[in-house]
Formats: sequence, C-alpha cells, structure tokens
Amino acid sequence: MAFEPAPLAATLNRCQKIGIIGIPPLAVIRTANEHSLVIHDLDEPLVHEDLETASPFLPRVYCAILRTAVVNALHLELDAIYVDTGPGKCDCALHTATILAEALPIPVICAKNMDASAYGNPLCQAKLSLLTRMIAITAGVKSAALYHDQPPPSAPTAGFWGVPPRDFSILELFPETTHIYGWARCMENKTPADHELEAQFNPEVPTVFFAQSFCAKTALARYLARKHPHALYLDVDVHTTNSARAKVQAFLELSGVKP
Amino acid sequence: MILGDFGTSYCKFLDLANPEAEPTIIATNELPRETRVDLATGHNGKRFATRYVNELIALAKGGETMIEKKDYVLLDCGSRDIKFIKYQNGKLADMGWNAECGASMGFTIELLKRYYELDYTGLQVPGQTFYVTCGVLGMSDIFDAVISGVPVTEAVARFVKGIAINAYRFAGSPARLYLSGGLCDNPLFVGSFPCQVTPLGRFVLLRGLEAEARQTRPQAVC
Repeated sequence: MAFEPAPLAATLNRCQKIGIIGIPPLAVIRTANEHSLVIHDLDEPLVHEDLETASPFLPRVYCAILRTAVVNALHLELDAIYVDTGPGKCDCALHTATILAEALPIPVICAKNMDASAYGNPLCQAKLSLLTRMIAITAGVKSAALYHDQPPPSAPTAGFWGVPPRDFSILELFPETTHIYGWARCMENKTPADHELEAQFNPEVPTVFFAQSFCAKTALARYLARKHPHALYLDVDVHTTNSARAKVQAFLELSGVKP
Repeated sequence: MILGDFGTSYCKFLDLANPEAEPTIIATNELPRETRVDLATGHNGKRFATRYVNELIALAKGGETMIEKKDYVLLDCGSRDIKFIKYQNGKLADMGWNAECGASMGFTIELLKRYYELDYTGLQVPGQTFYVTCGVLGMSDIFDAVISGVPVTEAVARFVKGIAINAYRFAGSPARLYLSGGLCDNPLFVGSFPCQVTPLGRFVLLRGLEAEARQTRPQAVC
C-alpha cells in the first residue's frame, strides 16, 4: 500500500475503473475525470452480495459503510482504490485500507484530503426531496466540476444532520424543506475535513442528528443533539429499523413539522 | 369508530360509537384473523386497519390526554419493547424506542410467571438486582442464581428489578415517571423503580388513538 501517493497521473494512466472510499482529494477526482475514468463510490451498496462476505476482513460489529466498501471492493473489477485517510475520514478507513491492500491485487492508495476550497451548499438548502438531494450530493464526490445550476435556497422547517446513511430510505420521512447539515454538508462543499462546518446546525428547526452505528461520529451527533434545543439523536446500522423509522416520524409530527 | 392497540401479547380495543363502553382486551394469540378496526397502533396494527398511527405518536397523544402537567416523562413497557416520551413546557423534548437491545423484557416477565408459577403480587422488591439489558440474556442470570442457591422467587425478583432499572435509565433517570402498559398491574415491577412512579394502566395508547381520532374526525355542520 502506498501511503505517499505515487505520481497521480502515472497511476491513473494505467486505470480504467477506480474505487473511492470516503472523499479522496479533488486532485485525484479531477485527474480521474480528465482521464475519463469510471469512478465507483465504494461507500454505497453497489453489488448484490451479502454483507457477510466482508466478515473475513472486518468484524461484524463495525461501520456498515466500510463493510459495504469491502464487499464492493471484493466484487467489482477495479484497477485501483483511493481511500481518504485524512481528518475528514476515520481510523476505521485507514485500517480497512490496510486490510484491502493485502487482500486485493491492485493498488490501494491512502490519500489525506485536506481540501479547503468551498464549493458551496446549494443542495443542502434547496427545496427538493431529501432523498433526491442526498443522492445528488453523494454522486457529486465523483466529479470535480463546480456547481453551475444552483437551485434557490428554501426556508428550513426541519434539519438532517449527519452522514449520508447506508440505507437512504429513512430520508423519505423528511419534508422537502429539510436542510442538510453535518458531514453531508461538508461533502457537498468538498471540504470533508472541515470540522467547523460539520458541527454547524440550525437551532431554529427540529433536527435529527444521525450517525451510523459504530461510527466515531455517534459521539459528535449525540453531543450536538444535546446542545440543540429540539433534537433527536439517532443511530442506525445496516438497515433502517421500524423503531428508527417510527422515531423520526413521531419526532417530526410531534414537533409540528408538516410533511 | 373502533380503535385497536395491537400488542405482542395483548390487543386492546375501544368503540367510540359507544361512549359508555370500557376498553376490551384479548390475548393476541386468540385474535380472530378477520378482525378489522378503523384506527390502529401497535406493531401488529398495520395488518388489521386501513389507518395506522405509530406507537410513539399514540403514546405521546395518550400522555397529553391523561397527564395534566407540562413537564413529564412517560414510559411504556410492552412485551417486546420499551419506549418513552419526555415533555418540557408542554412540548416534546426527547423520546426513545428500544426494540432491539431492550427487547422482550415484558414478554420474559410473563414467561417466568408461567414457568415458575409465580404470583408477582406476593413478591417483595429485593435489595439486590441483576444488570439486565435484554430479557433473553437476563434469564441466564436467573438460572445462575438459582444454581448457586438463591430461591427462585428472589432470583426472579432481582431480574424484574433489573428490568425496571434498565427501563428507568433508558427513560433518562427522571425523578418521577408515568408508566404505561400491562406491567402497571405488576406491583413488583412498579415498586422496583428507583423513582416516583405513577401507573397509568394499559390503555394509554388507546387514549392516544382516541385523541387522534377526535382530532381528525370531520366536524358535523349544523
């Protein structure tokens, strides 16, 4: 595994399809775009394989997103994998990269993303289905292009703070006027290591503070939820359980948030 | 209009068309399959009604109907799960629903009653407790204690107290809580909470459904 990135263009010249875990630096994405490479976001469920196939490599009680990334990496034919191991990601990703580098016959390259140029947050504040916006934000990690068509901002009636969940179905419960905060906002801004931006929330609107179970961000989510005057802390593992769904539904309805 | 709270062990019904009628209860395993109601809650409820209200909303609305205070914690201990609603200044402040790690506590209490042929009204709240986070896992503590010579009644009482303490902590360790669910009728369970407890009985969710039904029912025009 190369901890110091090999010359980027030289590595990507030999590639057609790469996988990414977390958000690698824009330089990687930009070069991959210039070479018209196919980029697979390994954090998302991409293959119809049992999550258990990750268990020989990662403990069962582990971040479901990284377990998903391992399943994808094992089953997709990739030429290289870039993993963000900077302050915008976590130790778990670093360890996963170490394990994948030994398990796979392709380069697994750790790259610390310290990007600080703000791209803005048009989708986080737009009036559109939360699910649609989150899909667009996560798809955005595969492109280095600036945001040209910016939807107008909306007045928020609710907040979703956190990472894009492994199971997006929970997002269907929120109204279109839900603003996005937390790491998902950092994703759209293309500054995943911006901890100040990540910690922002709107105390004026009822907010769900979401984290993946077994993720270090559960601590931040719960901490911020306690500071927020009207919050629900929620962690979900692989799939959204009925009780998690009911909690969000009840929280929004009892907080007077209109669908 | 018929309301139904379809729980894991028991189903409760209320007929709003008959103002004099009291709620009725039937064991879930005796429920006729063709049962239909107008408005339902409970984790089995969706199968029996066209309109469904989730249990946390029914609990919260039941609490709003039955509790006159503005600040309170209402805890519902069911067969399968525990859930709570916390209100401050008359507004929702916190909530929780533990259907996984806190699972099957009420169910296990009933199971133990039948297995050991116990009468909970005759059991004293014990000085000691088991650390119980799950009904199924907690049973191991009972068997270990019995093997080591602890009387069955004492071991089960420690288990029940452990469940009460776990539920109390789950609800945020309040100085006072309102209790909902069939376990309100279990004096050992109620007495095991390390705080002041006001039992509201097993029809709180039905009262919440009633409030929901009256809120959404079309008004007659005279």
